Amino acid sequence: MAKILGIDLGTTFSAMAVMEGGEPKIIENREGSRTTPSVAAITKTGERLVGIPARRQQITNSQNTVYAVKRLIGRRYSDIEVQKDKKLLPYEIKEASDGGIEIKMGGKWYKPAEISAMVLQKLKADAEEKLGEEITEAIITCPAYFDDSQRKATKVAGEIAGLKVERVINEPTAAALAYGLNNKKGQQILVYDFGGGTFDVSILDVTEETLKVIGTGGDTHLGGEDFDQRIMEWVISEFKKDQGIDLSNDHLALQRIKEAAEKAKIELSGSLETEINLPFITSDSSGPKHLLIKFTRAKLEDLVSNYIQRSIELVKQTLREAKMDIKGIEEVVLVGGQTRMPRIQEEIKKLFGKEPNKSINPDEVVAVGAAIQGGILKGEMKEVLLLDVTPLSLGIETYGGVNTVLIQKNTTVPTAKTQIFSTASDSQTSVEIHVLQGERPMANDNKTLGRFILDGIPPAPRGLPQVEVTFDIDANGILNVSAKDKATGKTQSIKIEGSIGMADEEIERLKKEAEVHASEDKKKKELIEARNLADNLIYTWEKTEKESGSKISEGVKKEIQDKIVELKKAKDSENTEEIKQKTNELSQAMQKAGAELYKQNPPEPNK
Amino acid sequence: MEEENAEKIKKERDECKKLAEDYLAGWKRERADFINFKRDESERIQKSVKLSEKEIVKNFLLILDSLYLLEKHSKNIEGFSNVNKQISAFLDSMKVKEIDCLNKEFDPNLHEAVEVIEGKEEIPIVVEIVQKGYIMDNMVVRPVKVKIANKIDKPSK
Repeated sequence: MAKILGIDLGTTFSAMAVMEGGEPKIIENREGSRTTPSVAAITKTGERLVGIPARRQQITNSQNTVYAVKRLIGRRYSDIEVQKDKKLLPYEIKEASDGGIEIKMGGKWYKPAEISAMVLQKLKADAEEKLGEEITEAIITCPAYFDDSQRKATKVAGEIAGLKVERVINEPTAAALAYGLNNKKGQQILVYDFGGGTFDVSILDVTEETLKVIGTGGDTHLGGEDFDQRIMEWVISEFKKDQGIDLSNDHLALQRIKEAAEKAKIELSGSLETEINLPFITSDSSGPKHLLIKFTRAKLEDLVSNYIQRSIELVKQTLREAKMDIKGIEEVVLVGGQTRMPRIQEEIKKLFGKEPNKSINPDEVVAVGAAIQGGILKGEMKEVLLLDVTPLSLGIETYGGVNTVLIQKNTTVPTAKTQIFSTASDSQTSVEIHVLQGERPMANDNKTLGRFILDGIPPAPRGLPQVEVTFDIDANGILNVSAKDKATGKTQSIKIEGSIGMADEEIERLKKEAEVHASEDKKKKELIEARNLADNLIYTWEKTEKESGSKISEGVKKEIQDKIVELKKAKDSENTEEIKQKTNELSQAMQKAGAELYKQNPPEPNK
Repeated sequence: MEEENAEKIKKERDECKKLAEDYLAGWKRERADFINFKRDESERIQKSVKLSEKEIVKNFLLILDSLYLLEKHSKNIEGFSNVNKQISAFLDSMKVKEIDCLNKEFDPNLHEAVEVIEGKEEIPIVVEIVQKGYIMDNMVVRPVKVKIANKIDKPSK
């Protein structure tokens, strides 16, 4: 079945995705990037360039390099917006005979839709190369505030590029689709889209048939690039303060600072502090100068706080205009790379009192949504066989009260998993299989699904018998747990129904509990593991002593006995570190015994 | 009566048969999808290994740039040529090649222009390398940043 390409045709960058096996998937361009600059150019030799190469030659050919054409598409030349943008754009535009716009590139005049078509054509060609099949249909997204003429022009751009444009859908609608919010009938969604060059706010109302836009706002000239600019200015002024040299006219230094500023901004989304380190940034009569500035997240937030505040004000304004109350918004969706900034996420959370949807890459979420819309049109979404997943991990209790997980949470069923266990003490003839459900490391903290005993295991030293435990969940969520003694073939099993079906609230509660207790649980588990290790070591010694105690000198034996007494004492305490230390000491003492044994009985060389 | 019953059973049997066929077809499809997925996935993994190697090399290049700057500004650092040899060996092992471009025609697929100076040539020519660029397995790890000379058009306005 032919695929529909979902395209996010952006002001600065574009992205594309398709449905594959019922899942949306971003397609990389030929250069291996997941986004493509929305730039086209004609070189002096008449060659047409699109995307990254077009941007690389921009400075040499600025009059024939067209970017941000989305600001012009489908507009009239006389629009105030166009007249404002005209002053900022290095390429030439004029009024077309129909009142629209024409752009000069390579000595020829093009309509904005024709330029957009060049970008779309590249996306189409790259997608075809990647997928190995022809792409003829597309869903293209546009801002919610686009009027009829702008939408029409976007559609025309697709058609010029050889694509049948099935729909032009709103970017916020696509973002909401990507999160499956179209199913939340009767809810109101706010989409906060902070891109590279534009900031858009949209409010959507989820109705029976569609996602209706009930409010739009924002600032078409506010974006992540403003943040970069602000950082650059700060770096330049710091360097001037420090070294007395003004870098603002040094082309090459500016280039390096710009890249470093953007890199630092991205790093500060993940860490609290970074460094802008540009050795040999310039030189004066005294020699080379280096730029090394400590840059903290707090400083970044301080530098751009007015931009963030402005975006929040615009959100409030959009809500007011749509006559909506903050409390009336059930879901918030984040779009655009700049929304990775933790401060922005915090501000949004503070304003709405809830976590925004942010799990899908904000640079890709619109293209993903467009692909999903394509899937819906093709009926692909319905065809997909819906398979359940286990909402919580399933396991059994093992020595020391530890929950040993066999089937991890979120595993798609039907599935089966087998693991071999053994006995914990000598001559143990039965094992209890205690089936658990939950995320906590200690058995007692999880839910008991059932238990049974496998007996008749022939007496043997601990650790020797092999008990094979199998968890099998069928498509209906029925869990079958069986245990088999490999020596005798004796088997016991239990059938547990409804291991999947659990009330959503209960699942959430259990997951939350696991999170809350994560660190204390870890400590507890470490303690148990340390105790188990100590036990094992003591057991090993007792066995060695029984078998070959006569060959070990009394001095060493005495030392080991003392260490064992100490370790046993430590084992009863809650102090994991002490148990570990005493275990270590015993192990070292036992090595002496080992050395004595080997001296008397050197191992036979390999034959 | 009996005939009616037989008819009913036959109908049921046919329905069951059809259902069984549907299930089998669906199962086969699922198996095939899975096998194909596994194959595609291994390709994807190889590709993403390549891409992450590219990212690592790209980050390493920043350090290399500083090293070259250091060498340029403080000539004849003892042992630098040995270190440089190690670096070259590493880049070779990663199949990373420097982009050679001086005095060649500007190619935006490999070069990034950072400055233009007035020149006589009709076509833009690379006159200076500002920051070295590299390719790896036919992928541009980083374009070479260049200064180019070009006949500058006077704005037509």
